[in-house]
Amino acid sequence: MKPRWLLVPLALVFASPGPAQEKKELRWGTDPVGGGPYIYKDDPNGPYVGFEVELAEYLAKKLGRVSTPVEAEWSTLPELLDKPRDGEKGIDIVLNGYEARDDLKMKYAAAVPYYVYRLQLVARKDDDEVTGWPALGAKKKRIGVLEGSVAFDYCNKRFPGQTVVNKDVATMFNAVADKTHADVTVQDNPACVFYVDDPKYKDKFKLVGDGRQPGEYLIYLRKGDKELLDGINDAIKEGLKDGTLRRIYRKYGIWNADQEWLTEKLTGEFPADEDGEVERAGRGGSGSVWPLVPQLVRAAGMTVFLSIASFPLAMLAGVVIAIGRVYGPVWVKAPFAVFVEVIRGTPLLLQLYFLFFILPKWVPGLALDPIYIGILGLALNYAAYEAENYRAGIQSIPRGQMEAALALGMSPFTAIRTVIVPQAVRVVIPPVTNDFIALFKDTSVCSVILITELTRKYNELYNFNRDLVVELAFLTAGLYLLMSYPMSLLARFLERRTGTHAAGGHR
Amino acid sequence: MIRVSNVVKYHGDARVLDGASLDVQKGQVAALVGPSGSGKSTLLRCINGLEEFQEGTVGVGETLALVGGETPPRDTLLRLRRTVGMVFQQFNLFPHMTVLKNVMSGPIYALGKPAAEAEATAKRWLDRVGLAEKHAAKPAQLSGGQQQRVAIARALAVNPAAILFDEPTSALDPKMSAEVMRVIDDLADDQSLQVAMVIVTHDLPAVKRIADVVHLLGQGRVIYSGPAAEAFAPGGPASTLE
Repeated sequence: MKPRWLLVPLALVFASPGPAQEKKELRWGTDPVGGGPYIYKDDPNGPYVGFEVELAEYLAKKLGRVSTPVEAEWSTLPELLDKPRDGEKGIDIVLNGYEARDDLKMKYAAAVPYYVYRLQLVARKDDDEVTGWPALGAKKKRIGVLEGSVAFDYCNKRFPGQTVVNKDVATMFNAVADKTHADVTVQDNPACVFYVDDPKYKDKFKLVGDGRQPGEYLIYLRKGDKELLDGINDAIKEGLKDGTLRRIYRKYGIWNADQEWLTEKLTGEFPADEDGEVERAGRGGSGSVWPLVPQLVRAAGMTVFLSIASFPLAMLAGVVIAIGRVYGPVWVKAPFAVFVEVIRGTPLLLQLYFLFFILPKWVPGLALDPIYIGILGLALNYAAYEAENYRAGIQSIPRGQMEAALALGMSPFTAIRTVIVPQAVRVVIPPVTNDFIALFKDTSVCSVILITELTRKYNELYNFNRDLVVELAFLTAGLYLLMSYPMSLLARFLERRTGTHAAGGHR
Repeated sequence: MIRVSNVVKYHGDARVLDGASLDVQKGQVAALVGPSGSGKSTLLRCINGLEEFQEGTVGVGETLALVGGETPPRDTLLRLRRTVGMVFQQFNLFPHMTVLKNVMSGPIYALGKPAAEAEATAKRWLDRVGLAEKHAAKPAQLSGGQQQRVAIARALAVNPAAILFDEPTSALDPKMSAEVMRVIDDLADDQSLQVAMVIVTHDLPAVKRIADVVHLLGQGRVIYSGPAAEAFAPGGPASTLE
């Protein structure tokens, strides 16, 4: 049974009103960091909006369910389908601009396409050199693309050596607007429309040339969910045919002839006639950073929780490993040494990924909620570093100390506990407190296993409030400083105290 | 009290002890003398079980014995060390504890005595070595001679039947050295104490003054055992050390 009690303080801090309905949820995996027009916030403290949000709501309604977005890092979304549906991050479908990909189709069922996109070239309006796609090669323009995207593959083939990659659409557009890292960007047309139409970028960008490399956005789900697959397929077709999806897409400015083609291809019919003007959706951003502060502070609470829950475990495990490595027999020393080297030699990101996505496939009982995996992963990672700190501390204690304790008739364990460890702890206070401060910042890696802590929240808010990038960055950095500075003070205090003992020898 | 029989000890390929044998009686003060590198300190460490040896035996009292080439049972080792205390050249006081806590550490952590009883014992021994007023000080706040006196009190606080002194004054200047030797003299003269003492030292005047018996080591063997007066007499076996 999972230790649910650990979630109680979390629930108090991060409680959000859950759906009171008895209806089954349609849990759809999405990454809000990806931004508009897929999923974003028009009002910083309001609900998510976006054409995929409305599509999910439409699908849920047709299926008699309630739409529930489940946030996770975009590249990990399909793997959530490998996890139990009823876990904290369990999902029914992946709905977040995923293209038709053979590798995904082999593992998961794919619904019929809900949107046809094309790659669109965007340049600064005042860049007269970019008159079309051929100008990119001729003028050797730097092309900003998303890492691992279709645009990335396309541009690498067409314009080798000219691509600049990033994981974030907003960063790409900012880079082009500010003439920093990229001259142009190539993105899926919905994102291009969203940014080019954004009042904050008024007269900054232009769409250049025709769309290239058409592709389809699909919903992925488990292969066994035949009933759900049929329901989604029917709903998409019906929505295309009766004009529901057109209304949604028009609201976000992304309806075009390709969607008409898609409707005819899937249903054999064209969409129902136009139904007049559709009010365009807002673009997000509040103009002020202050309404965003509570969200950042809540996310900082998660950062603190992860740190204070994992570090004591890391210290405890570190002491055990260090003692085992210094005083233990070979059969204890060897596995501890391997553990330390493996952990120190591999990135924390991979370790968390392994614990969350891979290990449960081998040992289903270890399919824990992300928060437990986050705490465990951080604790194991830091245990290796703490073990080395303590080992160095123990080995810095003169051998005569152990001999004196043993000569008094103490058992080795008692000697370690009462004589060696208390002295070693003083030696390692500075590196250990430094590690604790570092841990605060390393909690940001937990976003890969779906935990929304401070850095991920910053990314999310930054995407929805691109005009506040500087303010948000300072605010986030300030929160990290607020969390780590007291630790620095504590470290100095402890160092002073232990320094007093050391100084005693010179009195 | 202590019986060392044919102890052989190797450090790597070097045969540091080459069949060393000696006896120390209850209440006797024995001095181990010999040139540097003759194996004096190693022999003391073998008696206390801090070093394993390859051949021979070390017996303490009627029931405790270490056998060369065998790892002693944990319980035997603990009991032996509680019976035979040791004072080191470098004092080895615990720097994170006060003087009082240092002396209490043996009774509490080795013998399992209650804190109050341990404190009373510790204060008694600190008074005996003339450092009662320093009980709250940290070792680093004491002189070398004072630290060694605390170390002697700490060794005595577990009520051992024997104490091994491993060059207790060699890290001290003459003044402090004399201070420590006065304490050892005092203990040696105390007939009520009945603690056997084995002292390794190069302080030959002190040996002549306090030792009941002298064991002369040469090349890892005890080559002479006898009264100090005989050992250091002109032409005696230990006279060349002077």
